[in-house]
Amino acid sequence: MRRSSAYIPVSTAAALLVTSSTLFFVFTCPWLAVNVSPVFPPCVGIVFLFVMANFIMATFMDAGVFPRANEDEDKDEDFRAPLYKNVEVRGVQVRMKWCASCHFYRPPRCSHCSVCDHCVEDFDHHCPWVNNCIGRRNYRFFFLFLLSLTLHMVGVFSGGLLYVLDHPENLWELHNAVTLVVMSVSALFFIPVLGLSCFHLVLVARGRTTNEQVTGKFQGGVNPFTRGCCQNVQFVLFSPITPRYTEKLSERLPLHIQPPFHQPESHKLSQTLPIKSLEEVDAPDSKGLTCPPPLPPKPDPVLLKNHLAALEESLLQSRALMLSGHSMNPLQTSESPTKVLYQVPRDQMVSRISPLVPQEHASEPSLLQPENHAIALTLNSRSLSLKHSSRRGSQRAEIPHASQSVLSGRTGSLSYDSLLHPAGVQAAFLPMDPGLSHGCVDVQRLPARNCSPVFMHINREPSPVRYDSLPKPLMSSIQERREPDDKDKPLQDSGIYDTPSRRSLPQDLRGLSSSRGPTPPAYGSREFLLSSAAYGYGSRSHLSSSSSSSLTRAPRTTGSPLHFNRSLSPSIYQSLDRQSQLPPSTLPAPLPTSSYGPQKALAYTRGGERPEPEL
Amino acid sequence: MATEFHNLQELRHSASLATKVFIQRDYSDGTICKFQTKFPAELDSRIERSLFEETVKTLNCCYAEAEKIGGQSYLEGCLACATAYIVFLCMETRYEKILKKISMYIQEQNEKIYAPRGLLLTDPIERGMRVIEISIFEDSGSTSSSSTGSPSSGTAQ
Repeated sequence: MRRSSAYIPVSTAAALLVTSSTLFFVFTCPWLAVNVSPVFPPCVGIVFLFVMANFIMATFMDAGVFPRANEDEDKDEDFRAPLYKNVEVRGVQVRMKWCASCHFYRPPRCSHCSVCDHCVEDFDHHCPWVNNCIGRRNYRFFFLFLLSLTLHMVGVFSGGLLYVLDHPENLWELHNAVTLVVMSVSALFFIPVLGLSCFHLVLVARGRTTNEQVTGKFQGGVNPFTRGCCQNVQFVLFSPITPRYTEKLSERLPLHIQPPFHQPESHKLSQTLPIKSLEEVDAPDSKGLTCPPPLPPKPDPVLLKNHLAALEESLLQSRALMLSGHSMNPLQTSESPTKVLYQVPRDQMVSRISPLVPQEHASEPSLLQPENHAIALTLNSRSLSLKHSSRRGSQRAEIPHASQSVLSGRTGSLSYDSLLHPAGVQAAFLPMDPGLSHGCVDVQRLPARNCSPVFMHINREPSPVRYDSLPKPLMSSIQERREPDDKDKPLQDSGIYDTPSRRSLPQDLRGLSSSRGPTPPAYGSREFLLSSAAYGYGSRSHLSSSSSSSLTRAPRTTGSPLHFNRSLSPSIYQSLDRQSQLPPSTLPAPLPTSSYGPQKALAYTRGGERPEPEL
Repeated sequence: MATEFHNLQELRHSASLATKVFIQRDYSDGTICKFQTKFPAELDSRIERSLFEETVKTLNCCYAEAEKIGGQSYLEGCLACATAYIVFLCMETRYEKILKKISMYIQEQNEKIYAPRGLLLTDPIERGMRVIEISIFEDSGSTSSSSTGSPSSGTAQ
């Protein structure tokens, strides 16, 4: 929700434009039609109509807003993800920055508008005079608005001048006075509007956005987005308008996804050689979930992921062991938000557990039988967890400890369930993936979804770390790792596209984490989360008391009350924002009006964004 | 509750979401909409490489076609200007038509190719054209519960 004061510039602009033009048409045009040319007023009228149409489109059209990313998409990225990701655009290295508010790496030319609190495609600037972001979808309307307004001002001023020159006497008579006022308004705003129009003409010709020009992105380098002057103009004016990304889409037919699943031929062949298949499957897993362009090295996210998955499995299986006297799915007899043991056919078991079972345990699958797979998985995953814990020296004591504590805690809050879901409510995850339903499916609801699968039985395996269910001190530690974003922000995009800089945890912020309770290891990653979860688990009582507020995913849905630093969603960092706000030093005196995204320096025009339409 | 599940499952196999793979955009040609055709490792055991690549290439072609600046886009632009953009209220642009076509294509691909393999493509438009999301489902196996359970069918929350 924008403050009501945000509507003042746009209301003023609209009022001036409409009022002045109306007065011109009423008081001056009749004389012009008779004495100058009958064509003159209609031409001015058409231009005025064009001005208004473009103004309305620029004001109300979605600029190309990106919807925020689902949690599924960024669960690998939020932890320990580098702040920048490099991508090559036509041979030029371009930096994509991680947007902490929208939870994705901003595509090239995309920027986050701090006023509107969303990322905009091909972000130009935020214009207060239309109270809207100017981006890919509405840039042409804004550009045409400027050009047409300039033309309109010229027409109005010249018409008024002709009138006044022909009536030098009685200057204070009504018609004369009104014409004079309209002329002076148009003359007053003509210079800034003309300046802005020329500026944007140059931008269009060079294929740059205001954001790129103001931040000096291509000062020393090559602009990879330009296609040549003519092609650039053609692109701005005549490219098809891309669709709105934030629209509700039409309903689709529900889709049934039901096992057994068809396997590719190559995979079927590989299953006959279990050891080899484990090798093959294990290696690709190390490449990580997504296959982005080469990233700065992450600290073994797949290992961490596998580690977590293994821990979950071990906790799961240990519970299964405890209740193994009952049915095959003992968990289903307990509370609802539980995981179900994978009851997979044996031939699929090999591939299924291969991500969990490293090569050394290739012999394990031979032990598997459907009735004993629970036990076998436990063994596998425990051995895996120990294997991985050996790599993380400090974790060694903690992982078995976690297993032990889980084993000992049969009931009550110290169950593996509460490790995974401390909130105890799986419904909290519902918004994450609207395409699935938890528990049993209400088939009638599904047509409301797009390509939504119909499940007979749904048990959503939780992501390895559900960080909105993690204890708050952990969340705070995670959020602290984002604090360098604040420091980066005023300087962001201030240079040319260059090598990525890795997000690092400043030393001074580590002290902050210690004030929040037991200090986890300084490096922000899943390993410390795991260890913290494991040991913090036993001391949840005092951890919860030291938690700070709003550190969960809530900021994802709530808009930050800040209007000067929108890239950071948690409002808790208001104080940090203020501290880290640096004046944009690279540019000349900032102007009070309009903010171009996160950058505050607006010296590119002397008059700023003030195309005050006067007529 | 958990007991309600059994009535629905009985002895049926069930699928559960295992993970999601995200096919990122390919920006090597600028900001045109194009997705990487690199085959993700997670799909290695689920679908043939050729099928996946064909899907992505077809999508890329469709998007390229939609974003082409040519005769029809000029016509639309001029018409829009001439009618003070009222034409946007009446007519569907070429891009929108192609998007509908793409969505039908994805639906068809899901039905014929991906769903039988336990995969689900999500239309990129739902993700702001930034990624193609592929959900990977796994067979959580048949259940042979001996629990009586309640006769009422469970509903999603």
